[in-house]
Amino acid sequence: MTRPVQVIRPPSFSLRGIGQQVAMLVRHRDLLYTLTMHRIRVRYKQSVLGYFWAVLNPVLLLLIYAAIFSRLAKVPTNGVPYAVFAFSALLPWTFFSTGLSGATIGLPAHSNLLSRVYFPREILPLSYVFAALLDFAIAFVLLLALMFYYGFRLTPGALWAIPAMALLTVFLIGVALFASALQTRFRDVGVAMPLLLQLWMFATPIVYSRASIPESLRRWYDLNPLVAITETFRGALLHGAFPDWARIAECVGVCSLVSLVSYGWFKWVEATLVDVI
Amino acid sequence: MFDIEFNKVSKRYVRRKAEVAPARAPLWERLLRTRQDEFWALREVGFQVERGEALGIVGHNGAGKSTILKLLSRITAPTEGEIVIRGRLSSLIEVSSGFHAELTGRENVYLSGVIFGMSRREVAAKLPDILNFSGIGDFIDVPVKRYSSGMYLRLGFSIAAHLNPDILLLDEVLAVGDVPFQWKCLEYIQQMKKEGRTILFVSHDLAAIERLCDRALLLSGGRIVCEGKPNKVTLEYQQSALSVSQLPEHARTASRQIECTRFSYSNANGGAVRPGGSMSVRVDYAAHKPMQHAVFNVYLYWPSGYLCTQLTTGEKGADIATGSGYVEFFCPIVNLRPGLFLVDVAIERYPEVIDWRHRCATLRIDEGPVVSGDLHMPHEHSIVAGAPSSGALDGSQVGADIR
Repeated sequence: MTRPVQVIRPPSFSLRGIGQQVAMLVRHRDLLYTLTMHRIRVRYKQSVLGYFWAVLNPVLLLLIYAAIFSRLAKVPTNGVPYAVFAFSALLPWTFFSTGLSGATIGLPAHSNLLSRVYFPREILPLSYVFAALLDFAIAFVLLLALMFYYGFRLTPGALWAIPAMALLTVFLIGVALFASALQTRFRDVGVAMPLLLQLWMFATPIVYSRASIPESLRRWYDLNPLVAITETFRGALLHGAFPDWARIAECVGVCSLVSLVSYGWFKWVEATLVDVI
Repeated sequence: MFDIEFNKVSKRYVRRKAEVAPARAPLWERLLRTRQDEFWALREVGFQVERGEALGIVGHNGAGKSTILKLLSRITAPTEGEIVIRGRLSSLIEVSSGFHAELTGRENVYLSGVIFGMSRREVAAKLPDILNFSGIGDFIDVPVKRYSSGMYLRLGFSIAAHLNPDILLLDEVLAVGDVPFQWKCLEYIQQMKKEGRTILFVSHDLAAIERLCDRALLLSGGRIVCEGKPNKVTLEYQQSALSVSQLPEHARTASRQIECTRFSYSNANGGAVRPGGSMSVRVDYAAHKPMQHAVFNVYLYWPSGYLCTQLTTGEKGADIATGSGYVEFFCPIVNLRPGLFLVDVAIERYPEVIDWRHRCATLRIDEGPVVSGDLHMPHEHSIVAGAPSSGALDGSQVGADIR
């Protein structure tokens, strides 16, 4: 049997090493899988409703938003029933916000594990991201049911929702790695996170449409990658619309850059993370 | 072939002042205070461990022993230098620390097994063995929060024992658990050694180091100060122990009007102390003030920390004049078994503590006549043939007739 040879050197910031880091991560895929399932399993332990909560949560959220925005405030939705309009964007957003808030507290919550055994540290925040992705999958079935109820039919264009989700996942991983590494030194990140997420949500066309934003502000508004992703996701599912190529290309660029730099930085910080946690 | 190589490895810890600034300090001060405290836990440490070798590392608290283990297990990274590891490495630590209370024993075996580097398939293959070894039985499908602490420990250890590493890291493992559990640990370690695994053992238990290791290192202040045969290194460690003292709570108030300056011991001829032989113990002092009723005490502890015995100048004490001098204790016959004892040296004037040097030295009793158990009782014997077995000695008490 050949023995693995490890060479440990002082940490350095390098984007070139990312290939090896990813290879290492792939070797630990079982751990990522186990921890992801662990998140889900633990969350509903000793709760009567169990996995039903995964469905119940988005439904309740949907009811609240539907009640507020369709009755009290009239939002232009391009003829789409408000419930479907809001829910179709709420799903990717919930994925993003659950994943990010989970990942932020992930490292400090496991400090006793971190100080005893090594594994690629990004697995902890990633496990929160993928657990949120599973929640998303469950709630997605609900969205399909809702769409059929209102008479929507899926077209081939709906497949564009898949790359939109992939892009969102890449972006979320980037933000989550950054936030979780920062949180190990500055607990302020976790404290500010709920407020930040609230702000971010209102800066994203979820409960309203991008059309409501004045033309003059859109340049700034579109800097938020979630705008293009949400619009693409919703447009694809509800109207079978093709993405706006220029904006999506820009978004791909931003998301991959954020993810790459964030991962490189995370791996740099990771090596001595235990010393400051 | 070396399994572990340390090439000029240094590790610096930084304590940022902002962290110690009180929360009440103004915000700008907490943000701007950038002065940092540096602390070098290791300084240019270099050593190799050969395949199949057992290396022991001894040193005082803070000498850098745990840092070496942390670097090897990649929990933290070195500041300078390079470490090469050839083989799968795992440490026999409390694996149960990775347990999640809400999950069942079985689920936790999967979780911990994977965290400690096995694949899910490996865990599945070893699961029957692990369960069998742990002796948990039906409880395996019960959440571990319902476990007793013993079951917790056993399950954790049986996972650790099935990690099957090429290189084993040991850190004071024998200090936890009940006696049967410690036996299991010891048996496992001996087995690993027999199979030719490489072992790195960090411990305060010098006797264990001497028993288990082929070679030892002595660390002090983050540097290697001595390297060689375990008994040579532990001896060096004992001698270096003379210059260091750490005070327990009750001794902090010591006025040190008289200070202990040195502790030494030998047999009557200046040689090694053995059971059945003699021992003289000498405590040097420096008195800054004259004092009446000063009592000199030497406490000997078992390696486990229990008080074994005490040498004293008696409750009344003696009058000490300013200046230096020494107190000598003489024991005509040493009743202790071979091994190492921890030493406290104290000067007291009841109930006041003048000076208390906590675990300031170790005392070594070398191998002498065969002794099992804790004490050596000097004895003689005679064999009388042909006597009736019922007759006891006159006036003696009958213990039991043994059949």
